[in-house]
Amino acid sequence: MLIVDLVQSIVDGLLFGATYALIGIGFTLVFGVMHKINMAYAAASVGGAYLALRVIALIGGPAWTSLFIAALAGGLFGLLIYWLCFRFIPLSNPLATLMSTVGMFLLVDEIIVHTTDGMPQNYPVVVSGILDFGEFMIRGDLVFVFLCALLAMVVLLYLLYRTKLGMATRAVSQQPVAAQLVGIRLDHINALTFIITGMLGGFAGALIGSAVGLLSPLLVVPLTIKGLIVTVIGGLGSIPGAIIAGLMVGMAENVFQYFRGVTERDIYVMLLLFVFLVFRPGGIFSSTAKRD
Amino acid sequence: MTILRLLAGSAVVAIAVAATSVSATAQEREVKLSGFGAMSGVVRSFGVNSKAALEAAADEINKAGGVKLGDGTKGKLVIDYFDDRCNAEEGISVARRIASSSALVGIGPTCSNVAEPLFGILQKKVGDAGDSGLQFPIFTDVAIKIGLAKISEWAFRNVPDEGAMYSSLFQWLKKTRPELKSVFGGVEEDFAHSRASWYAVMKEVAAKEGFEIKGEAKWLLADTNFTNQAREARRAEADIIAISAHPFTTCGMLKEMARQGVKPKLVIGLTSSSSLETLQGCAGEAEAIIIPTSFAPVTPEAQAAAANAAKFKGSLDLHSGASYEVIKILKDVIESEGVVAKPDTLQADRAKIRNGLAKLTETKGLIGVSKRTPEGEAVKPFLFVHAKAGKWEVLHNPTN
Repeated sequence: MLIVDLVQSIVDGLLFGATYALIGIGFTLVFGVMHKINMAYAAASVGGAYLALRVIALIGGPAWTSLFIAALAGGLFGLLIYWLCFRFIPLSNPLATLMSTVGMFLLVDEIIVHTTDGMPQNYPVVVSGILDFGEFMIRGDLVFVFLCALLAMVVLLYLLYRTKLGMATRAVSQQPVAAQLVGIRLDHINALTFIITGMLGGFAGALIGSAVGLLSPLLVVPLTIKGLIVTVIGGLGSIPGAIIAGLMVGMAENVFQYFRGVTERDIYVMLLLFVFLVFRPGGIFSSTAKRD
Repeated sequence: MTILRLLAGSAVVAIAVAATSVSATAQEREVKLSGFGAMSGVVRSFGVNSKAALEAAADEINKAGGVKLGDGTKGKLVIDYFDDRCNAEEGISVARRIASSSALVGIGPTCSNVAEPLFGILQKKVGDAGDSGLQFPIFTDVAIKIGLAKISEWAFRNVPDEGAMYSSLFQWLKKTRPELKSVFGGVEEDFAHSRASWYAVMKEVAAKEGFEIKGEAKWLLADTNFTNQAREARRAEADIIAISAHPFTTCGMLKEMARQGVKPKLVIGLTSSSSLETLQGCAGEAEAIIIPTSFAPVTPEAQAAAANAAKFKGSLDLHSGASYEVIKILKDVIESEGVVAKPDTLQADRAKIRNGLAKLTETKGLIGVSKRTPEGEAVKPFLFVHAKAGKWEVLHNPTN
């Protein structure tokens, strides 16, 4: 029984961790390009999911359309966040964008609370069902979430490494001055980065809503914290790192909960973060710094 | 000259009208009652509903002629409402701010984690010169954790007694459903109310009534993954699953139980989950859940109050229903104690309200008469409701 429970916890954690990976990728991609943290990212992701819910309530449609509507809404929020929190903010000031995105995080959170009176909203489930193997079971919806998250990661990696846009994005993240000198429009690329990460975030928000079955403003803070943990453990700016770290954090959460209970779970997750900060501050795949 | 006379005459008439209206409003005095609770954050709906209920009750009283004050003047109830964000430090700060205003009493807070430390800053015993605690009456409408009012003689509550409610529920289940023998709990560990309601109330009364307690699964207020907990519930094979959690995680756990095919014979919920939030989040999964509650629109007064609160953009449930009752109780106390509501009688009026509330042995509620205890708590009438087709319906009235 013990082994089955442990394996079950690991598998459930890995599957759910795919959503953390998506959130972590969003944080890390923005950091990679702008060398700044977008604290409003998870809030905008949940906001995108809420907007998708409203749109479906208005015009109807099957549950799977919520994923695409949320992605579009997320992209829109991403652009808005870029304009309001980065575009006209002095980037040389280390605290300026941090504070502006914290403010945006609070604003989005309060808008969600005010428009829904803080009430949890039922979220359409795209895939239901359980794969039953006796004592061991795998949730069909979590498998769907995992596969969708993997697909999103593959598409993103293709975008970054096989397209001109991706090349320009990487150029800006590595050498913004040189990128401008060769004719790459910095603002244009930054805005597109925020749109792409926003779409990813909205997609992740919808997947999380679908997996949980509910949307609530309660999701915003824990997702932000987990996204940041995943970003740091994976390495700031490292997308493969964010993917592995997301799965790792999801799995660790469930395993710690299984062994030590829910009241100590988060302590051990934070300890994991601390261990990485002390022994591997650059993250799982820390790379050597590139020079001009 | 004719124009001048006309102007002079108009001026005299205008002055006379103004003087009459001034003298009319001088006979009506403002009686300020300040509410406070969670108006932001995830439990915002509680504060919104409380505020609406307070305003609706005050409006009803004002339209019926107001409150009769101790010197024969008519008093008009004025309600303001402050946000404590369900945070203890902010709650204490808000209470001090209200106490330094002209408010006669503070009505709140929403959260038990605010109420407990807040009552701690009040003067413990009335008349104790050595205690420099705040001498300001607080009448709580929502914060429901058991046994808080005894912390201070300035603290009073109009909240249901969960001990009595769940005791009655388990007794009734023992009688009407003898096949139910065991209970497994699900508890939200990081919220004062839900935690206390499982460990100090449900678990104890169920054991006392002879039910076998098979353990409990734990989670946190913001958790979204209940796979481990639902698995524990499935393994326990209990007849009853008692979920001591607020709507978000109640729904999360119910959905996971549905996914894993966990089908107990009965599910019992937390009092605070007998609300619109639960039905909005998981009406299907919550079908047949039984919850004891101290409010349902089963009397003409309750129905009228619910309709009135809706005009102020709130809905009535066991928490906001209590807020509505608080205003009615305070009206009676203000009149019976001869409160004057003048600036120079402020502290004396507050003491009168405190004494008046302490003297009460029973009050009239929306669904029946509530008893008052010497500790300042209420023993309210209650019903058992169950979720049926997306609505809360009365299942059983224990007083019948």
